[in-house]
Amino acid sequence: MPAPMPVGALTMASFALTAAVIGNAYYQKKQFYPSVVYITKSNPSMAAIYLLAFTMVILLGKLLKKVFFGALRAAEFEHLIERSFYAVTETCLAFTVFRDDFSPKFVALFTVLLFLKTFHWLADYRVDFMERSPVITLLFHVRVTCLLLLLSLLDLVLVNHAYHSTITRGASVQLVFGFEYAILLTVALNIGVKYVCHTVDLQSENPWENKAMYLLYTELCMGFVKVVLYAVFMIIMIRIHTFPLFIIRPMYLTMRSFKRALNDVILSRRAIRNMNTLYPDATPEELRAVDNVCIICREEMLTGAKKLPCGHIFHASCLRSWFQRQQTCPTCRMDILRQPPPAQGGAAGAAAAARNAQQPPTPPAQPQTPQPQQQQRQAQQQMPNPFAGLFAGMPMPVGPPPVGLPPFPFPPMPMHQAQQQQAAAASASASTTEAGTSSSTTTTSTSTSSSASSTGQAGGAIPTAPFNMLPPLFPLLPFNIPPPPPPLNFAAMTEDEVRQLEGNERQHVEARIKVLRNIQTLLDAAVVQMNQYASVVASLDMNSQSIPRNATPQQAGATESASAPEPSSSQAAEPMVGAAADRANSRDPDSLKEATSVTSNDEAARSEVTSSTSVAASPSSLSSTTTTSASADTSTPDELHPDSPQEIRRRRLERFTQNT
Amino acid sequence: MAGRALKRLMTEYKQLTLNPPEGIIAGPTNEENFFEWEALIMGPEGTCFECGVFPAKLIFPPDYPLSPPKMQFTCEMFHPNIYPDGRVCISILHAPGDDPMGYESSAERWSPVQSVEKILLSVVSMLAEPNDESSANVDAAKMWRDDRDQFNRIAERLVRKTLNLPYP
Ligand SMILES: [Zn+2]
Ligand SMILES: [Zn+2]
Repeated sequence: MPAPMPVGALTMASFALTAAVIGNAYYQKKQFYPSVVYITKSNPSMAAIYLLAFTMVILLGKLLKKVFFGALRAAEFEHLIERSFYAVTETCLAFTVFRDDFSPKFVALFTVLLFLKTFHWLADYRVDFMERSPVITLLFHVRVTCLLLLLSLLDLVLVNHAYHSTITRGASVQLVFGFEYAILLTVALNIGVKYVCHTVDLQSENPWENKAMYLLYTELCMGFVKVVLYAVFMIIMIRIHTFPLFIIRPMYLTMRSFKRALNDVILSRRAIRNMNTLYPDATPEELRAVDNVCIICREEMLTGAKKLPCGHIFHASCLRSWFQRQQTCPTCRMDILRQPPPAQGGAAGAAAAARNAQQPPTPPAQPQTPQPQQQQRQAQQQMPNPFAGLFAGMPMPVGPPPVGLPPFPFPPMPMHQAQQQQAAAASASASTTEAGTSSSTTTTSTSTSSSASSTGQAGGAIPTAPFNMLPPLFPLLPFNIPPPPPPLNFAAMTEDEVRQLEGNERQHVEARIKVLRNIQTLLDAAVVQMNQYASVVASLDMNSQSIPRNATPQQAGATESASAPEPSSSQAAEPMVGAAADRANSRDPDSLKEATSVTSNDEAARSEVTSSTSVAASPSSLSSTTTTSASADTSTPDELHPDSPQEIRRRRLERFTQNT
Repeated sequence: MAGRALKRLMTEYKQLTLNPPEGIIAGPTNEENFFEWEALIMGPEGTCFECGVFPAKLIFPPDYPLSPPKMQFTCEMFHPNIYPDGRVCISILHAPGDDPMGYESSAERWSPVQSVEKILLSVVSMLAEPNDESSANVDAAKMWRDDRDQFNRIAERLVRKTLNLPYP
């Protein structure tokens, strides 16, 4: 403990002074009682006596500190000094209200209060320290137990004293003391509960999962009691005296911590609920597949592990405490709230419905147009993963079918491309094409004429479409504000709820149209990809390993820019209807390149749509698409290094096509 | 059963002792309190901080690893990303949400995946390559940009100081 010298000097000085005062009095009066009377009548003598008393109190405090705490750590001492400063200022402010009561007795009471306060704080630090130190001795337990009992007892006695004094003699400064001790009593209780929790936890072999929860609730209860105490005290003070300025700061701090505790409780309850309902337990096989260590606590996971939608596995308890801070996966930072796992879509849908049901009901403004909306919803529903939904089968397996409407009204659309396709991939791409046309039809039924041209292209088998349409449309894909996940199951909802869920405002319709257009573009790209891929595979008759199916976006951009200067692909809007297929059939190396670039383009696009709800994932692919568009638009000749992997791959592909 | 934070710190300490990364030594100042660590960081080779041995302290919050620790060099430092009082300002030490400099994406922020070792390695690479976008020490950042020779001279003085060598 620093500053032993001033205390030592003070002790010496006060003892010397007191000795001098007593000696002087005895020298003058020669007898005991007259000396005492003389000392009490003389102000300087009394000052010396007070000084001695003060010194004695400090020494006693130091002794008690030695007994209960031993040496203080530097951090503890710093905290103590800081908090004492505030305590002293506030109590001095309190005394200005009760300045009539000011007397040595109250100074003494005030000193006692300050000492008790510091002891409470120190006890708090020490109990918190239990969680930090690997060595907790028996002495520690004895000290903390005795201290807590003593402090609670003292608080009780002093509260009682203040109460009786106020009752019998009316409001005085005792009111302030009684209130302060009541607060301290709650603090002592809180520390006691904490201590018991920590001790129980230390004794048990396994981690005590609910400890944090108990501590949180204790904090909440004590916070509530304190807030009530402050409120009562404030009301009493305002009625008796004036506005108690000195409790503003502690009251504010208490309310803030109460609010925080409340918030923590809510967040942790939500985390627990999510944990129990949304995320499956990790199976032993999954645990074995990963290296079995929880990245949060760095310990082995044996039981109670949970698997997040992104596939990362953690201890349920670790995850719970993390979710109180942030609703993201600790490893990949995926936002877990924005991406309800597909298995639990029903629950999420119900939640969304409940959310929507809370909004004031908006009766449909145009009752004559519910049918397109139904279609749009179906399309929108598949938005998170349009391909999975589309390839799975045409009649949607969800909910009641739209009233009086076939699932997918096919308009008479020309489907040349189905005939052009090679047999290898015919069935798969056919379904894609159908889906593409149907969704584009849906768009045309509600949207403006601008989409008509694109629809025509989509119907007309369209290799150019991706090149002309992708660049402007792709930046739209990663929504800045992702729409709420649509429910997967409408069976549990009434007709009205469904209608409310839909929304009839202009922005909703526009958003829907935008989504539909994006899907359409994607489908167009997919069709082109499948066409070209199938034809290339068939014509080359080789195993698909040689084709860089999963070319990275950068490679796509490079390959595309390599092929851009060639006249065939730079003719943009022209009748590319059969061009790609023709070129593919004529074994032109360009078509290969284009096929690969479209493939990768489309893969980037697909990944964007499937993860369109997680904004964080998109920037890289977004930038890649913009790069692609830039290079395609400006037709810059490539300056690829001859040894770069793209160049090597290009050369290899050329050789390949020449050989066959 | 000890607290979760304590257990993890003990695990990390064991890990760092058993196989320490090059140029880094770290451990609790006092084994009774695992929440205050000392670290010694060697200046990375080929930089102006080469050969220096810089002491720092790490203070861990009670809810570690949910919240990041604080790191502060206890020797004199002159670096764009170190405050004049020694506090280190790198994104890995900031919890997502608080962004004093406003430059960092949340991808490089603190998460329980990070560890003492990763922090110290980031600090080493920060010594090698200051990030003058988020500067904790404006003078140092300016000098690093405009007057590299002067910066190197100051760094050399600091290196000599940490080694208790007289500066010519
Ligand atoms: Zn864990
Ligand atoms: Zn994850």
